[in-house]
Amino acid sequence: MGRNYFMILTVLSVTLLPILSLSFSTDSPTDRRLLVLLDDLSLKSSHSIFFNSLKSRGFDLDFKLADDPKLALQRYGQYLYDGLILFSPSIERFGGVVDLAAVLDFVDSGHDLIIAADSSSSDLIKSVATECGVDFDEDPSALVIDHKSYAVAETEGDHTLIAADDFIESDVLLGKKKIEAPVLFKGIAHSLNAANTLVLKVLSASPLAYSANPNSKLSSPPSLTGSSISLVSVVQARNNARIMITGSLDMFSNRFLRSSVQKAGSPRKYDKSGNEQFVTELSKWVFHVRGHLKAVNLRHNKAGEKDEPAMYRIKDDLVFSVEIYEWSGKSWEPYVANDVQVQLYMMSPYVLKTLSNDKKGLYHTSFKVPDVYGVFQFKVEYHRLGYTSLSLSKQIPVRPFRHNEYERFITAAFPYYGASFTMMAGFFLFSFVYLYHK
Amino acid sequence: MARNIGRFLVLIAAALIYSSALASSIFQPISDSHRSAALELFNPLGGSFSSVEKTYEELRTFEVLGIDKRSDISTAACQSVSEILGSSSSTLKDLFYALKVNGILQCGIKEDVFEGVASRLQSVVGGASALLDFYYSVGGLALIKGQTSKDDLYLADAEGVFRSIKALSQSDGRWRYNSNNPESSTFAAGLALEALAGIVSLSSSEIDQSLISTTKNDILKLFDSIEKYDDGAFYFDEKLVGAREHQGVLSTTSSVVRGLTAFAAVTSGSLNLPSGKILGLAKFFLGIGIPGDAKDLFNQVDSLAFLESNTVSIPLILSLPATVLSLTKKDALKVKVNTVLGSNAPPLTVNLLQVLRSGSKDTSLIESQELKFDPENAVYTLDAMPKSVDVGKYTFVFEMVLHDSDHKNLYATGGRIRIPIFVTGVIEVDSAEIAVLDSDLGSIETKKKIDLAGENTVSLSANHLQKLRLSFQLSSPLGHAFKPHQAILKLTHETKVEHMFVMGSSGKQFEIILDFLGQVEKFFYLSGRYNVQLAVGDAVMENSFLKAIGHVDLDLPAPPEKAPQPPAQPLDPNLIYGPKAEIAHIFRAPEKLPPKKLSLTFSGLTLLPFLGFLVGLLRLGVNLKNFPSSSVPAVFATLFHLGIAAVLSLYMLFWLKLDLFTTLKALCFLGAFLMFVGHRILSHLASSSSKLKSA
Repeated sequence: MGRNYFMILTVLSVTLLPILSLSFSTDSPTDRRLLVLLDDLSLKSSHSIFFNSLKSRGFDLDFKLADDPKLALQRYGQYLYDGLILFSPSIERFGGVVDLAAVLDFVDSGHDLIIAADSSSSDLIKSVATECGVDFDEDPSALVIDHKSYAVAETEGDHTLIAADDFIESDVLLGKKKIEAPVLFKGIAHSLNAANTLVLKVLSASPLAYSANPNSKLSSPPSLTGSSISLVSVVQARNNARIMITGSLDMFSNRFLRSSVQKAGSPRKYDKSGNEQFVTELSKWVFHVRGHLKAVNLRHNKAGEKDEPAMYRIKDDLVFSVEIYEWSGKSWEPYVANDVQVQLYMMSPYVLKTLSNDKKGLYHTSFKVPDVYGVFQFKVEYHRLGYTSLSLSKQIPVRPFRHNEYERFITAAFPYYGASFTMMAGFFLFSFVYLYHK
Repeated sequence: MARNIGRFLVLIAAALIYSSALASSIFQPISDSHRSAALELFNPLGGSFSSVEKTYEELRTFEVLGIDKRSDISTAACQSVSEILGSSSSTLKDLFYALKVNGILQCGIKEDVFEGVASRLQSVVGGASALLDFYYSVGGLALIKGQTSKDDLYLADAEGVFRSIKALSQSDGRWRYNSNNPESSTFAAGLALEALAGIVSLSSSEIDQSLISTTKNDILKLFDSIEKYDDGAFYFDEKLVGAREHQGVLSTTSSVVRGLTAFAAVTSGSLNLPSGKILGLAKFFLGIGIPGDAKDLFNQVDSLAFLESNTVSIPLILSLPATVLSLTKKDALKVKVNTVLGSNAPPLTVNLLQVLRSGSKDTSLIESQELKFDPENAVYTLDAMPKSVDVGKYTFVFEMVLHDSDHKNLYATGGRIRIPIFVTGVIEVDSAEIAVLDSDLGSIETKKKIDLAGENTVSLSANHLQKLRLSFQLSSPLGHAFKPHQAILKLTHETKVEHMFVMGSSGKQFEIILDFLGQVEKFFYLSGRYNVQLAVGDAVMENSFLKAIGHVDLDLPAPPEKAPQPPAQPLDPNLIYGPKAEIAHIFRAPEKLPPKKLSLTFSGLTLLPFLGFLVGLLRLGVNLKNFPSSSVPAVFATLFHLGIAAVLSLYMLFWLKLDLFTTLKALCFLGAFLMFVGHRILSHLASSSSKLKSA
């Protein structure tokens, strides 16, 4: 009996080892193992292009029904997955040991999440989204309607198929290549919590859009209208966990990815909608293939010296440098930007200076230590849209002048010195005269 | 428990598919997009398939879709086919699919190979007890019979085999996989029917009619368990979830369709299946759209191909290229009728029976009329939109009437087909004006006409005792009143706080009167400039617009205590994420010192007393005659003065570089030395002067 247990343990540890070594690490921040929760396994086929593109980029996808009784995110305190894709809008209760708190713990421990809702969304999915800082329209029958920027389709007449092209301007979120074709969207609206500064609108609706039930008369003003409607939002938490929230599950479907698109009122017809590029690029960001920074080798020294001193004197000239690299999905590449700043900080910043870089990842600057002594910190706080936050600090004391470091030959004092020394010379002569005069 | 979960899953699946089907509740037959999808799905594997089953699925899909890719894979495929058929250790399943591949590719397998396989299959049939063994072996034999010239290939005991397969059937029309397994399955029913059809075609003599008719009964019972979506699509679903081999809805339905059509093809006499169910099955397969999975695509295309040529009833699909018709552009109503694979339908007439306004159950707007057939494009068209049809959402009811009365039993037309149609048009916007009214009298303070087609920059001002009135008229192309879904007045304060009001209407006239007195609280007592925008839009309105009308300067009373605060507006991300302004430390200014020149001048001046002293000494005629003449005191005198000079220069050095401690240390030694030599020389001088006095 005991022997059997031992065997099982051995087998387990042998099978778990390679999995553990593949998991999320600081050296290679890209996620590997993704759990995809579905309402229905037919989604695997109807959304296969998106899933296959993830697979071809090296992700391990684990498809499970959202009410699978064996569902678990962690085992023995170890998370089994690096990312979670919730393609199960109508699920009322997850199976197994997963619940709202488990999903939030998953994110709180730095893992990534994609939530796709649609018109059948359950309260559970909506409350996951609410915890992430976005609020879906409370009316369960409401859809995003846009009578101006809808996608022209000969068989879709109710203008709920939106051709959205109001993207956030950010290369790190959406890739360097501009998304030319509009993105097809059919689903529900959400708005951002104004108090939450971590959540960003990636794809917004046009000013004429509103969220309502297309089949019933509008009696009161819709709760969400115009550009305050977010179609797709992302969150980057303080622990760099990334979340993507969208009100349209169809957005990822083969049908939308392969569909041609023409925005109403625009003469140009695109053979393929922007969905594939959009969801691919955004998924790269969500799973930390892009926009992940690391800072290493924070260094400082007196100008002209090599070693890092234990302490600075006020008014010293110092040189500060730090190396910043960006993860490209495979390797760490030098990060090039002109807005990295360093602070010399004691209660409040005394010096805040933009660093110049050598295009190879090294950022440096030089400045004079202020004439205030105390315990300072070098601080690099780098928060840029889409990038992971960098927050580094290094403590360094600053002392005042020593007694012999003040200026020695002050011209204004020369008359006093002159007087003393002529006095001395006089004394010297006088000693001769006094002693030997006859 | 498992059963309940299964039901629940089906419900979810149904809801999902229903929601996607609603988007296109018009079913389109197989089209070119299926072909490109097929090429994309099968291509990545590039001919080197992992199994002969996959090869068959690819070849069959391409065959049905009419894509000629045979040459690309035939060599590799044929080689593996001949290997499988030649080997005596290959599995039944591989043999079966290898024969199927051979059926498509015509690999030119030798007769004796077939004979070997046939005898092997014959012996398997004899000793088989599991359904899958029957299915593969009987299917394999039927394929061999079709592929060779051997017409004398017959099953030895056809009726016995038929009975032993039939023994696995259940009372509800489903089948078990084998006699030990009590679980029955719909998927297995499809396999069993296909196998039974194979037996009928392999039988040397007529099978007992009673057996055939009980099987037909089984089929009818099986169809009792068919399930239905709201859009008219029928499907079969496997009841057991968590069983050894769970099959999806698509593969289950596909298996039944294959079995049904195969069985119907080999037996004579009607099955008495309602043609609506066959049409519903076709709708199910078409409603899936384009699957993203090779297996699903194969199942879809293969089943549709069987439905296309089945002997029960061939479904005809009525589809509309466009269901959004513009009145302004005078779009004609076009209807296409095809079989499921997109080929042309037999001669028939399409009638437009009714046009119903959606949402209301009133009577038809038109008389029944026949659509004109355009043989060139195979399209049925309605020349002109009926006069009574204005913009709006409608349900058009069509009916297909087959010309040939024999066809009526052959084809499934589905009776009345209801299709939602959007008729759109340009809505005329007229006599728009905005005015500020005095509250008590209702007299007009200021009134401005606005042109909702062009640009407007109206500027108004009002206080909380006044009212704002906005009115305009909308009329449809036929001159009727038009009520758009979205008619919203939007006031936006400078601080981006938005207020929205739904415009009410009576007839064509839309009007809203905003009494600011009642709105003060809602406006959060925010005075200032409000931008006024009007949004009018509807699904059938081609010129939906959001127009900036101008602005109104509101003068509202100051907020009382405890007045509600306006909601916070989201911050601009650029403000949060941009770089901060640089901070440079301002150093303490150095103390103010006199100018250098002045200091140097005064330093020069300090020399003057010394010079005066020197001049005075010279004047006095100083001499050093008293300097000791004898050698020892002279040495001490020299040392004494050198010592003084050293002390003084030590002071000089103290100023120039030395610190206090070094100076004091040096001074200690110098002082001692100076004491010693000073004592000697001074005592010498004192004694010599006292000698002089006494002398």
